[in-house]
Amino acid sequence: MSSSETKHSPLEQFEIIPLIDIKSGNLDLSVTNSSISMIITVVIITLFITFSVNTRAIVPSRLQLLSELSYDFIAQLLKDTVGNEGRKYFPFVFTIFMFVLIGNMVGMIPYSFTFTSHIIVTFALAAVVFIGVTILGFIKHGFHYFSLFIIPGLPWYMLPLLIPIEVISYLSRPISLSVRLFANMLAGHTLLKVFAGFVVSLGFAGFLPLAFIVALTGLEILIAFLQAYVFAILTCLYINDALHLH
Amino acid sequence: MPQLNPEFFVSQLFWLVVTFSFLLFFLWKISLPRISKVLEKRQNIISNDIETAKKLQTEAEQIQNEIDRQLTSARDQASNIIKKSNLKLKNTFAKELSKIDNDLSKKIDETSVIIENNKKDSLNKISNQILEITKLITAKLSSVSFNDKEIKASITKAQSGPIN
Repeated sequence: MSSSETKHSPLEQFEIIPLIDIKSGNLDLSVTNSSISMIITVVIITLFITFSVNTRAIVPSRLQLLSELSYDFIAQLLKDTVGNEGRKYFPFVFTIFMFVLIGNMVGMIPYSFTFTSHIIVTFALAAVVFIGVTILGFIKHGFHYFSLFIIPGLPWYMLPLLIPIEVISYLSRPISLSVRLFANMLAGHTLLKVFAGFVVSLGFAGFLPLAFIVALTGLEILIAFLQAYVFAILTCLYINDALHLH
Repeated sequence: MPQLNPEFFVSQLFWLVVTFSFLLFFLWKISLPRISKVLEKRQNIISNDIETAKKLQTEAEQIQNEIDRQLTSARDQASNIIKKSNLKLKNTFAKELSKIDNDLSKKIDETSVIIENNKKDSLNKISNQILEITKLITAKLSSVSFNDKEIKASITKAQSGPIN
């Protein structure tokens, strides 16, 4: 895409702009707007989670309550889906949830960059979950982990049909997990940009799409939370599958 | 679509790994233990408080029971005392009453004996005087003299039966 084409494209916001060039051999490790966005996300989470509980007050302040609520939210989620053995994986699930949630929220700030709208990032996250859960399953059950593909109580002659289906559905987990988040973010931000274009092009009547953008921003914030939640709950469910099979 | 441009894939993956691992490590080792410690502490304090409250409540109930028991026994004692003193008063009253009754009837008896004696004396005197008067009268009216015995008999006859 040439620069004149992308100037007013709704996809322009997803363009990656290198800010500081860093090269390590053949690898391009440049600091880009995407990495800046990730760093901002991590800084926000660490500062918030760390300093809100700094006083360790028994009667919490509002900020402390907020981080305790997010802690309780994920802890409860993990307990409901996995049970008490899930406590070990709490930091991981919590990190995934907060990273995706705050990443989405940072992306909602105008002129900022949404790193969760890049398939490579969401796929990498999903791959970490997928590979981690698979390794966990094999450590826990050995080769017995393959029985995950056999649905209990099914007649044996159905197995040749269903085992491939189960295997395919298992292997497509990282794809569905990553594409869901990526597509939601992409669609939402593109839609916002398209309507923002209408505001300019419609002139006086532009207040109509503007009102729509306001409403849509609310919806996008909801989706930002919802997708983080879905990502976390699916991670929990996969961990549960790996720990308990069926 | 910029997402499908592999030019910056490596950079994005590198920074994702760096930021995500830092966040995971930081939360795991520093932030989450803090929060869980605070939550645990609060839970402990709450359960302690609840325990203390329960203990105090049982104590209060015991004290209440003790007060109730003492009140009941005090009431019982009071009513016993009232009953006893009532009984005692009644007894004393009855005793005094019967004593006064006795005294009175004794006095009445004594007095009636005196009265009876006086009456007898008076009657005797009267009959003697009648005798004397009769003697005088008969002596004045006739020369016949009667001895005392005859006169007495006729007087008694006249007193008891109708005069023939």
